[in-house]
Amino acid sequence: MGKKLIISNNIRKLRFFANEMTQLELAEKAGISRQTIIALEAGKYTPSLEMAFRIADVFDVPIGEVFECKSAEGKK
Amino acid sequence: MTYKSKRAISNMVASAILVIAYIVYAIGKYETGSGDLKSWAIFMLIFIGIGVGIQIVIQIAFHIALAFGIAVKEHVRGSKETDNVVRTLNSSMVEDEMDKLIGLKSGRFGNIFAEIGFLAALLTLVFGASGILAMNIILGAFVLGTFIENIVSIYFYEKGVRNG
Repeated sequence: MGKKLIISNNIRKLRFFANEMTQLELAEKAGISRQTIIALEAGKYTPSLEMAFRIADVFDVPIGEVFECKSAEGKK
Repeated sequence: MTYKSKRAISNMVASAILVIAYIVYAIGKYETGSGDLKSWAIFMLIFIGIGVGIQIVIQIAFHIALAFGIAVKEHVRGSKETDNVVRTLNSSMVEDEMDKLIGLKSGRFGNIFAEIGFLAALLTLVFGASGILAMNIILGAFVLGTFIENIVSIYFYEKGVRNG
């Protein structure tokens, strides 16, 4: 079995830099529910690749700027 | 607590009301010794129909209460736009991949209970129990399975869920 990966995200930071976009606005633009945005920001949910791309599209940034992946040992 | 957790709780409340009503009626029916397998089947079908009606009524009441709650929150925050209430409500009701994942994971737990109930009902028949008892065990297992499903979905909504 492979190493355990920890996926974190910068959604809160990106919302702040997008003129303090609300969770509701982001949810509407990405076509997902507000609860999912809340869960993502709290690190309670790891999205699928499709959802990750949709969120990155909203901020108009590459997916790597929204999501970061670390192995359990701390390597990026 | 999220909208979906609250909805699951309202589902559980509706189920609990129905289960209590069913148990009260069923005990009365069983004690009088009235009814063959056919009359119990009709009795259960009627209760299932009533259950669907109760679920619809409770869901309508829940959504009215939810809309009212959101409107009050928006008012306290000083927002004068009624559009925000509708948008928040609409966004809460969107069913995305996280909901589907939680639905699949929690549904699996519900199915396990229903399957165990079915096997238990077959075993009771093997050991000579009545068909009425077996039918009640199957119905009980389905109801319990739905309860467990709701509890597991609340757990996933509150604690989080991972793909894979």
